[in-house]
Amino acid sequence: MSILIIADVKNRTINPSTLEMLSAAKKIAKNNTMPIYILIPFGNIGGDSYCSSEFKTFILDLNIEQYSAHVLVKYISSVIREVNASYIIGMHTPFSIDYIPALSVSINAQCITQIHSLDVAERITVTRGSHAGKLDHHIVINDTPIILTVLPGSFEPYTITDVQTQHITTIHIPEVNKHIYCNFITKDMKDTSLDEADVIVGAGKGIGSRENLSLIYEFAKVFPHSAVAGSRIVCDYGWLPYSKQIGITGKSIAPKVYIACAISGSSQHVAGIKGAKTIIAINKDPCAPIFNVSHYAVVADIFEFIPQFIDFVQNNA
Amino acid sequence: MENKFRILVCVKQVPDANALVYLNDGIPEYDEKTVYVINRYDEYALEEALQLKDCGLTSYIHAVSVGPHRVQKALRRSLEMGVDEAFCIQSDDDRLHNPYVIAQAITQFAQQNYDIIFTGVMSEDAMNQQTGQLIAAMLGYKHATGVTELSLNNTTITITRELDAQESQMYELPIPCVISVQSSIHKPRYPSLSNVLRARKQEIAIIKHDLITSTGKTKSYFTMPQKTTQCQFIEGSISQKVTELYTILHKNAVL
Ligand SMILES: Cc1cc2nc3c(=O)[nH]c(=O)nc-3n(C[C@H](O)[C@H](O)[C@H](O)COP(=O)(O)OP(=O)(O)OC[C@H]3O[C@@H](n4cnc5c(N)ncnc54)[C@H](O)[C@@H]3O)c2cc1C
Ligand SMILES: Nc1ncnc2c1ncn2[C@@H]1O[C@H](COP(=O)(O)O)[C@@H](O)[C@H]1O
Repeated sequence: MSILIIADVKNRTINPSTLEMLSAAKKIAKNNTMPIYILIPFGNIGGDSYCSSEFKTFILDLNIEQYSAHVLVKYISSVIREVNASYIIGMHTPFSIDYIPALSVSINAQCITQIHSLDVAERITVTRGSHAGKLDHHIVINDTPIILTVLPGSFEPYTITDVQTQHITTIHIPEVNKHIYCNFITKDMKDTSLDEADVIVGAGKGIGSRENLSLIYEFAKVFPHSAVAGSRIVCDYGWLPYSKQIGITGKSIAPKVYIACAISGSSQHVAGIKGAKTIIAINKDPCAPIFNVSHYAVVADIFEFIPQFIDFVQNNA
Repeated sequence: MENKFRILVCVKQVPDANALVYLNDGIPEYDEKTVYVINRYDEYALEEALQLKDCGLTSYIHAVSVGPHRVQKALRRSLEMGVDEAFCIQSDDDRLHNPYVIAQAITQFAQQNYDIIFTGVMSEDAMNQQTGQLIAAMLGYKHATGVTELSLNNTTITITRELDAQESQMYELPIPCVISVQSSIHKPRYPSLSNVLRARKQEIAIIKHDLITSTGKTKSYFTMPQKTTQCQFIEGSISQKVTELYTILHKNAVL
């Protein structure tokens, strides 16, 4: 019985959120003496500091440019067997979600994705959003091994205190499995307007059309240092460029105030707004999940509320 | 290019974004007024497949959906968009199923018959993001998720998968494979009148299936989500809400 953490990758290096998985693992291990292992899936992503006397680290002898879900599943499965892992924990990011669920089939274990919390009592209960985030689904784990993917930002990052490289084992991968070439394409992010704004007004699908975006622009204009951004859907529709998308596959923002207008609050969107000091949501659905992460909630139709708000400010300024 | 490809698109029917879900004795239910639609990402998957058909690269495109009788509406819509044939793996159990069980049902159906299997990157209701990966693993195929671009070569596909705002990966996958499509600027098409008329006459093949909901490994229950911050609901009439929000923004020194 042990816990195996699979390090996540961001910008071709280890995603620091990997440390959040360590906290989750510590929580699971609390009541017993289960050892924790970390698996670094590539040798050239700077994983050398993810080791300590507290846990053992495995590094697969692959380069990130040899990325292949298939190869990873094959070699990680054998590590899982070798350390007899009961809990296999990965990060719920577009990078890791590509291959972690596939481990399910090779080790014959269930995979539960997008975990945002876990409760350790006599049994371990994990919680994930379901029904488009409108409900929480709590799953009591009765049987192991089990594979979990955790949502970034759900656990405090753990601090590794004494880095000890002698606890690293490199796993040799035969040459035949390395004949893969994966290109990484990096986009230039010239648009910095979202980094500089004090107030960001976010537009969601509920704005209904590109024309209605003018209402959002007028709303934003009310604030001295503001910018307009949007949910992914708004960018997919071409109403805003992708450089204005907030979320896990978009930008992370950290303004003084974020005002989400007609945005439901999917976990993928919310992943990008955690840095905002104050979050205000305007949504006509009183149960919209965005209210679960907001500081202030305005239940209203944006087409009614925003024009009145703009009027009010103009008359009071 | 000589090869023509046999394609399957996995289409899930989901409640639309306005659907109200409530808990009845701890069990989630949607009210009768709920409108069901094709999962958004599956529309993008259909679009990718249909673009290959437009280029004359497909020998056929099939759509498959697992669920109760009502999912036939999503399949009908897929036919209207231009899919050649549709299959309903019908199970009367209307709950959100374990993705493993769904993947098994689709794998059983798809056995050997397809060169490319498309899924959406995620089902909007269950949000598992794993059915495609499971199907691939069960069939022993390679796969890629979060795909925003693809181009077919003779025996391989070059795909681009999205990682975040700044970065994507591009690589080749051998055929057969499973591709989970991410939403993108490729707008899913609107059915043409001729396709709507054609689809009206087509039969949807029904395959009966008893899904086993219990995995034997887990017990579960549902609740309303916990609020992660103390959210203050601004009450009153619209104008009261306006004044109150103004005061709050003023206090936060942004107005
Ligand atoms: C791998 C992956 C990555 C993703 N990355 C991102 C990402 O980076 N960023 C992102 O945003 N999404 C991302 N998504 C998509 C995400 O899951 C949601 O689909 C998306 O965030 C929903 O956008 P929305 O809130 O605008 O639309 P919806 O979910 O459709 O919500 C619309 C909201 O508007 C409200 N509304 C409608 N009309 C009005 C009105 N008149 N007045 C007030 N309220 C109204 C409704 O009540 C509803 O809550 C990703 C998805 C996947 C699978
Ligand atoms: N019941 C179903 N019927 C057909 N396809 C499905 C079903 N459930 C999931 N899928 C496919 O798998 C994808 C990912 O779903 P999920 O793993 O539930 O997030 C969806 O976008 C669909 O393409």
